[in-house]
Amino acid sequence: MDSRIKRIYVPMTESGFYILFCLRQPQHGYGISQQVRQMTGGELVISAGTMYGTLSKMEKDGLIAFEREEEKRKLYRITELGKEVLRLEIKRIERMYKNSKGEGING
Amino acid sequence: MDSKKTLIRFFTIADYEEEEIWLHNQHKNGWKLVKMILPCFYIFERCTPAEVIYRLDYKNNSETSNYFQIFRDYGWEYIGHCVGWLYFRKALSETDSECDGEIFSDNESRVDMIDHVIKTRLLPILIIFLCCILPNFIGSIETNSPLAIVFTVFFAILILIYSYLIVYCGLKLRKLKEKYRND
Repeated sequence: MDSRIKRIYVPMTESGFYILFCLRQPQHGYGISQQVRQMTGGELVISAGTMYGTLSKMEKDGLIAFEREEEKRKLYRITELGKEVLRLEIKRIERMYKNSKGEGING
Repeated sequence: MDSKKTLIRFFTIADYEEEEIWLHNQHKNGWKLVKMILPCFYIFERCTPAEVIYRLDYKNNSETSNYFQIFRDYGWEYIGHCVGWLYFRKALSETDSECDGEIFSDNESRVDMIDHVIKTRLLPILIIFLCCILPNFIGSIETNSPLAIVFTVFFAILILIYSYLIVYCGLKLRKLKEKYRND
């Protein structure tokens, strides 16, 4: 992974994380936002402009790729690079969580 | 009573929040926006007074059908566009949270939009100012023909307008960015 991608996406915003996480299955913008609402009990709402902007940026950087079109809606899916970024993020969040519980990295 | 009206109102590239509030108030008074005509004409149509949220997005390049589809899915009605600005509205009663009435849900995307405005609008204006208006003004001062005085005055007025706009927009966009960052 080149350092630019790492610098931009690790750590990433909460919206960015959920968008990438949801795209392990092909999904379109509004579908992702509904899924994220459900996952966070309605606490995280990703608005239209933020959704579109994040998807465009991630597609340009190769983290996600266009999968197919359904009724004018573009469906995306995570790429290998995206999965790698997601793994790094999850590792970072896990470490943060463990440390916050006083369990330490190797605990 | 007329069912249509045209208002003239000038908003700079840094006044989009004020423009949103102004359009909201128009709708509250029973006038809904139909379209904008350059440079500053707003066409309204009589409607039932309602609380409707207006939001402006800025995109320099032409947007794809996917862009409009996402906004439609979120319940935003697309009204039209005017030099890069896209106008959307949504009835307040159709929103279920404060976030649902916004087109940006994090400050990063708000700052991204401002950066986009600076790069594709403010910078070109600055370049035109420095490379075209300023040299022409200096040139017209140095010329000794009777017609030159007309040009000198013309360019002097342009310089005043441009300087004011560049400073005003530059400072205001910077202030907006700071506001979002510290939000």
